Amino acid sequence: MGTEGMMARIYSMGVNGTEGYPVQVEVFAVGGIPGTEIIGLPDTSVRESRDRVNAAIINSGIELLPRRITINLAPADLKKEGPSFDLPIAVGVLIATRGLIPAEGFEFGKTVFFGELSLDGKIRAVNGALPMVISAKERGFQTVVLPEENAKEASCIEGLRILPVSTLKEVIHYIDGSEIPVPQRQMTYEELNRENIITVDMCQIRGQKAARRAMEVAAAGGHNMLMIGVPGSGKTMLARCLPGILPPLTFEESLETTRIHSICGRLSPGSGLMITRPFSAPHHSASVASLIGGGQNAKPGEVSLAHNGVLFLDELPEFSRAALEALRQPLEDGIVSVSRIRHQAQYQSSFMLIAAMNPCPCGYYGSTSRACRCTKNEIRKYLDRVSGPLLDRIDLQIEVDAVPVQEINDSLPAESSATVAARVAAARRVQQERYRNEEFYTNAQLNNAAIRKYCRLSADAETLLNAAVEAMHMSMRGYNRVLKVARTIADLDGEDIISSSHAAEAVQYRELDQKYWR
Amino acid sequence: MDYAHSVFDAWLAGGEIPYDWLIPLLHQYGDSREVFDRFVIRKAPMEDMIPAKCRKKLTELSADGPMQTCETLMEKHGISSMTILDEDYPACLRELSDPPGILFYTGDLSCLLRRKRVSMVGSRTASYLGLRAARTIARDLSKNGVVIVSGLACGIDAECHRGCLEGGSPTIAVLGCGLDQDYPQENEPLKKDILSRNGLLLSEYAPGIKPLGHHFPYRNRIISGLSEILILMEAKLRSGSMTTVTHALKQGKEVYAYPGDPVSPMSEANRTLLREGAGYFTTAKDILEDMNWLDNQPLVGQNIGCSAPEEPADSTEAAVYNALLKGNLGFDELLQTTKLIPSELLSTLTVMQIKNKIEALPGKRYALRQSSSC
Repeated sequence: MGTEGMMARIYSMGVNGTEGYPVQVEVFAVGGIPGTEIIGLPDTSVRESRDRVNAAIINSGIELLPRRITINLAPADLKKEGPSFDLPIAVGVLIATRGLIPAEGFEFGKTVFFGELSLDGKIRAVNGALPMVISAKERGFQTVVLPEENAKEASCIEGLRILPVSTLKEVIHYIDGSEIPVPQRQMTYEELNRENIITVDMCQIRGQKAARRAMEVAAAGGHNMLMIGVPGSGKTMLARCLPGILPPLTFEESLETTRIHSICGRLSPGSGLMITRPFSAPHHSASVASLIGGGQNAKPGEVSLAHNGVLFLDELPEFSRAALEALRQPLEDGIVSVSRIRHQAQYQSSFMLIAAMNPCPCGYYGSTSRACRCTKNEIRKYLDRVSGPLLDRIDLQIEVDAVPVQEINDSLPAESSATVAARVAAARRVQQERYRNEEFYTNAQLNNAAIRKYCRLSADAETLLNAAVEAMHMSMRGYNRVLKVARTIADLDGEDIISSSHAAEAVQYRELDQKYWR
Repeated sequence: MDYAHSVFDAWLAGGEIPYDWLIPLLHQYGDSREVFDRFVIRKAPMEDMIPAKCRKKLTELSADGPMQTCETLMEKHGISSMTILDEDYPACLRELSDPPGILFYTGDLSCLLRRKRVSMVGSRTASYLGLRAARTIARDLSKNGVVIVSGLACGIDAECHRGCLEGGSPTIAVLGCGLDQDYPQENEPLKKDILSRNGLLLSEYAPGIKPLGHHFPYRNRIISGLSEILILMEAKLRSGSMTTVTHALKQGKEVYAYPGDPVSPMSEANRTLLREGAGYFTTAKDILEDMNWLDNQPLVGQNIGCSAPEEPADSTEAAVYNALLKGNLGFDELLQTTKLIPSELLSTLTVMQIKNKIEALPGKRYALRQSSSC
């Protein structure tokens, strides 16, 4: 046994923001006092991998020679976190200590390893597999060895050989050439997309015809929506229906969204790309950081988890003022920038905001069944917690009344989500066609200039809207919002010019702020 | 010490001496300056029928500092005062079993001389319909020369004052605190309106006295005492407005209750009163007739004859109209009755709202608008 050192270099991936970046795991073993040191800005979970790797190697039936081992994670100036470096470290240690002789011509330079090891040598799933695989492809790697549970998530990426492994032994056999694992079958997105899982179906909702219609309009135009109603009127249930009537995620959207969920570890083990639009419903005690993203090592927040999906804020006025104000940037730009001393990250966050609130602190203002016991001042204070600028971003406001018992028992089945979704999809196609040369793709995103360009009114619609502005003391902003919503209603009808009935219906989704916020 | 009469009134009223001490005291000494002179300056009250406890309290009443503050407050807010011995003092209050000995006021006393006065009260947290009805009825009464008396509270009270001002007659507000207090804060603009339209603010509480909870039920006897008739617009069973009703009944006044929504918990007290025999009315005309205040003059005000809104021509509008004739309805109920589809109904509702034929109530409910908007 000589004293000259032995060096191994294995490629892995880390995640910064929502992007993966290559990490070289360099392992140097040399004679001397036995010990292991990990350098290259590892955090605690990376430093602890030393012990996991040790145990996993021994439990895979390989005896380690006592060596002084130095492990460097390059680039050395980026902070590494998470247990996904366990696998490349183990491979590096095995090679550097000659516990494993790679097969002739094994290309370590074109292979990426990542995975968490358990003490008995099994390989566990890691967070962020999708962004790591995507950037592995972008950097020209050819093979990715990853935990079996992450394989499906990565299966839609073309041009890569994905090798799912479940134990360290399999990896050892793969490298020494004795047995090559079965590569993950390449799956197209359409294949995954067979079933759009609907958790709550619209047909389960009794009554609430006005709110149902408003949901359909909101979904068709991508409009944000606020529901005001007494407790128990079904606001939450309505909101949960929304992902089911939105068009399914496109491949690109799915990649974006799955990537964020992957980083946060929100994907269920063994699941592939997300198909159903995400529904994120943070509790009203949520902090700004949990909502927007951030923390010591920046992580995406709830608004990013809702990217391409629905962010549902129940009890809107109970959210802290700071949290609500922080929503304005993502609502405006569809992206949040999180700046921390050590970290700077941007997360995509273009979502539909569905908010729900009671009409007053006790909840029963305007209820026919129970007396409200709030004073005018209390109600005003409660409503004032939702600031004007935030309200300005919400196109549809709808009142939801409690459903009378006889209507709950009403046997007439309501429309199912699938029926509504078909109409929504048709309206979305109309918009896509109309805005194919623009930077936006839904009616909700129209700016003032685009409103003038695309929201053409028939003569009587114009007369009606002018009368409505007069009668309901509507602001110019409110007027523009009505136009956008009217555009969507006309799209649902498949008509190019907004007729007076479209405009009149759109006005109904505004009169709420007349009643409450005047 | 030389102060105006009213400052001595404020000093005496500031002691919050019960009326059964205060009134004999005033009768005996003539005015509060004399009381001050006897008890504070000369410290030699006459041996008389004033109970010892009362004498003790009076001699203990601190004088100089508070009187100066009172003087500035009264000057700043234009507050004057009168005692039960003054000629201006409203005769109807004199007849009460527990009249206020001293009254503070700002504004025009002449509205106390008007014959037609109606007191209107109701809950602070009233339903939308109740608020609207209060305003309409107060306005129509006011148009026919009736002065409305109420308590300047938020909710029904404020709507009654507003309605009265819209109708052109002055209105009287009886407060439960010193007239200098900003209470209720949100009705400050209303106070100014009342004063600018020859109205009157009244209180038995000296300037500087805070709006304490127990003042209000006691103050209510003045509200009911100032008119021949009390109208309860809308109240729950356990409500401050009911103390006004109790006072009115004790004082032998006519009590009327607005029928309101027959199922709403907000007008529970109205239903109880009506069952117990309170006067029934739906329009200002009913009141004017009952009180014999018609004076052979043509009635003013559109709601006066309770004309039903005209029937619309359009078929969907007619469907909505006919459905709402039976009372206000929620959106889903409307859908069921009219058999329209949601989008159709929504746009019809907007059109009718713009035409001012219906109005939207909280909770996605709709009602026919009575053709009374003036």
